[in-house]
Amino acid sequence: MIPSRRLRAPSILIVHPDHKTQRTVQRVLGATGYRIDVADDLAQGVRLLTHLEPVLVVVDGSAMTSANVKQFFTAAKTRGAESCMTLVGAAQLEQMPRVLGLGAVTNLLVHPMPVLGEELTITAQKLIRSDLFGAEKYLLWGTKLNATTLTRASQRSQLVSELAEQVRGRGQSARVASMAMLVTDELLSNAVHNAPIDAAGKRYRAELGRNGELELDARHQVALRWGCDGRYLAIEVTDPFGSLDRDTILRALVQNDVKHSGSGAGMGIALTYRSCDHLVFNLAPGKRTEVIALIDVRFPHSERVPASSYNVFVERS
Amino acid sequence: MSETRGRISIEPEGDVLVIKGAIDESAELTALLERAQGRRLVLDLGGVTFINSLGVRDWIRMQAGAQRAGIAVELRRVVEPLIHQLNMIIATRGAARVTSFFAPYACDGCGREDSLLIDAVTHAQGLAQLEPPVMTCAECGAQMAFNDFPERYFSFLSV
Repeated sequence: MIPSRRLRAPSILIVHPDHKTQRTVQRVLGATGYRIDVADDLAQGVRLLTHLEPVLVVVDGSAMTSANVKQFFTAAKTRGAESCMTLVGAAQLEQMPRVLGLGAVTNLLVHPMPVLGEELTITAQKLIRSDLFGAEKYLLWGTKLNATTLTRASQRSQLVSELAEQVRGRGQSARVASMAMLVTDELLSNAVHNAPIDAAGKRYRAELGRNGELELDARHQVALRWGCDGRYLAIEVTDPFGSLDRDTILRALVQNDVKHSGSGAGMGIALTYRSCDHLVFNLAPGKRTEVIALIDVRFPHSERVPASSYNVFVERS
Repeated sequence: MSETRGRISIEPEGDVLVIKGAIDESAELTALLERAQGRRLVLDLGGVTFINSLGVRDWIRMQAGAQRAGIAVELRRVVEPLIHQLNMIIATRGAARVTSFFAPYACDGCGREDSLLIDAVTHAQGLAQLEPPVMTCAECGAQMAFNDFPERYFSFLSV
């Protein structure tokens, strides 16, 4: 029996049916220094959550067929835990619409080991340290990030072109450059037009024409940083409003209406998500929103996982 | 594909409208329907560099307008960024017929990557069976491999 004092110690809960994989994930997350608890299934996980207060629960995608899915994620949320689901392999990826449909999974990781190990470790470390911001966390030491500030809305098109040219100039493929163009354009456009919000909650620039000119004063300027470490091309866009919220993001990622009709709010987010390998939202409500898109440049497209990971982190006040 | 996004330009070449540059907030594609000849609109998209979400919305409005007006749309030399949208968003396909398109190939021999033109009419049978046509590397002469998942990349052809 675990002493009750230990149960209140910071921990991470893993739910996975396979004992060998449990051990692998346990070793990866054990590096955080946190206690790791393990459940074979969601029913056992729900029971454990009555005693535990984990910072993070990591659930294998096979659990999506369990009757306890909603109960488990509700219990995890009640206990203050962030939830992370892993979908590894083609069979599990078929569960993706159901996972997105839950609207409760704030972190979804879809890449096999060893990438999964990196994604899990960064996810856990960011939560544990309450240190969310910065693309540096996803890049190798020493990687230079190019930084630009958008001071006029019309700079977007030029910046997007320049970024793509520089990506190509570094030997990346036309496809990577094309993905980078789309991602950068959508993130900048969202930051300039959708992020600004007034005291009444009105998005006062959302309806303005995207091809009109807007001078961006200090309050409205948007920061773009990007860099490549030979593994990932990272594109980071930050606005100073912090008006994007977790529920809006999760709804946009579901995007059934986008898939069928190309309509609906958050289409830019949906397209961005499907045009990169990993999309990270770092939210400081009322202060800033930082979105990082990671494009994996290591593998030919035909060897990539046909899905993308995402994280939605919210800074705790 | 050029990395410079460029503003959209639309020029006629015979009975074909050649579109170049970015399909974005300034595109106004529905105006193309007025240039249909005998209820037929042929678009050459080989020079398109980019499409964003606002361009996608405009593209869908153009496709829907064509269907309402009974205009048959033929798409030629569709570039990869557009193919990705056709695959991601079903409404972008409308009732248009794609007669040729670019697809990604990679050479195992020298590592060269290319976007190569596929004639969708000539290769219709193979494409229906998700078999990309064989292509040769322009650099080393080796056979190139299709550089995407055929079931995903060719899904726009299934409508």
